[in-house]
Amino acid sequence: MTQMTEPGTHFLYPSTLFACREPYIVNTILGSCVAVCLYDTVWKFGGINHYMLPFWNGQGLASPKFGNIAINKLLEKMLVLGSNQKNIIAKVFGGGNILEGSTSQFMIGDRNVAVARDMLMELKIQIVSQSVGGTLGRKIQFNIATGEVKQRMIDKQPVANGNTEIVIHNLDKYNLFVK
Amino acid sequence: MNKLKDEELIEELRIRMKEKTDALNELKTLNEKLKVVNKKLEESEAMKTHFISNITNEIVNPFASILGLSKNILSVNKENWKKVFSMVAMIHTEAFSLDFQLKNVFATAKIEAGEIYPEIGKVDIKNLVKSVTDSFRIEAQKKKVSFELVFDFPESEGSTFQFKTDPEKLKLILSNIVNNALKYSFKDSKITVTVWSEMRVMFISVFNHGEVISDEYKQLIFDRFERIDSNITSVNRGHGLGLSIISSLLDLLGGTISLQSDKETGTTFTIEIPEFSEEEDSFKSSLNGNEIFFEDNQVF
Repeated sequence: MTQMTEPGTHFLYPSTLFACREPYIVNTILGSCVAVCLYDTVWKFGGINHYMLPFWNGQGLASPKFGNIAINKLLEKMLVLGSNQKNIIAKVFGGGNILEGSTSQFMIGDRNVAVARDMLMELKIQIVSQSVGGTLGRKIQFNIATGEVKQRMIDKQPVANGNTEIVIHNLDKYNLFVK
Repeated sequence: MNKLKDEELIEELRIRMKEKTDALNELKTLNEKLKVVNKKLEESEAMKTHFISNITNEIVNPFASILGLSKNILSVNKENWKKVFSMVAMIHTEAFSLDFQLKNVFATAKIEAGEIYPEIGKVDIKNLVKSVTDSFRIEAQKKKVSFELVFDFPESEGSTFQFKTDPEKLKLILSNIVNNALKYSFKDSKITVTVWSEMRVMFISVFNHGEVISDEYKQLIFDRFERIDSNITSVNRGHGLGLSIISSLLDLLGGTISLQSDKETGTTFTIEIPEFSEEEDSFKSSLNGNEIFFEDNQVF
């Protein structure tokens, strides 16, 4: 039997999710969005989502653009792939409040994080680690096979043409870990 | 502990009273919001039920027509072979509508499963727009609606305008807009598709003469299953997914859609799509397997 040495890589777009039992490295970039990584500690595989808004309010398609849908769909997929909910742990990233001039009512980042916390608690899935909030964006890399997540803080600024300009920051200056 | 003066006591009570009132008011607002959301979800559920019966018709009817027509063709006598042309045209129309409906349903399923990704390529926009409007030509002829295409690109772009985006998704977006425009056009009218670009952002507007979309509907029509005339006797076919698919696909491409509608000028849908950025692309690829990007102390 040959051992797979090079795991595949996948770039996770907003409003999508990814879970599989093959070893994969998943990259994604988060601003006010939140990514919930679920990991099965028994079968040693995981899944990740990337949602932009906390709740689906009945407008548009019921896609994983919304936290409540994205978390349920990801868990559903993990269960379909053979997980037992009891063996799943979670890591939560993102939810920065990167848009300037945002008032407390429009703190999308905070509200996105709150949805993850509330829903995971309700689902009795433990959040073992997290890096949330702050004013910077995050670039994260999730290793599906080990459950390990690497992170880099970034300045993600929307520029005029709708694309994003990404500036890599010196990490020593920022320490936004939440214990 | 000091004894509180009466004034201080009253002041304290007043503050607490205010806090409570504020909290109560906030709760009221939240409750109101919850009611609205609840109503929306109920509506959505009802429409989902309606949708299933609707989509069954959308799929079963064209199939029945195709089967019936092809059977007829098989039994046509040699001397009547000219009849075959019109029947083949009908088969084409039915198959085309079936194909379009299915594409939309599959796109919806993919979007709702969170398994849709942009597949970027260099796209010849002129060609793409032409192929979309061409595909609706037969349908348009039935309604005596004609298409007018206006391409307004900078001189430097030459005759072919290449744009980095996802061709299949753009096709589906445009097909849905054109399909709507056609559906709600008056007979003997013209649909104008205008394409232009500014600073690596592409604009496509689709203009038609037809019934005016009221302000109250302008928001609603982007919801799934929502149709302007969703009653059973409606002459217009469709599943009401079109605009919500457009919105989701545009999200994926980083684009937006806007809508203008009034009696004098007609209805215009305009989409705005930024060119897929090279930097983001290279940033992404350089990350794949590149450990230097990450610091040791940022491992979770």
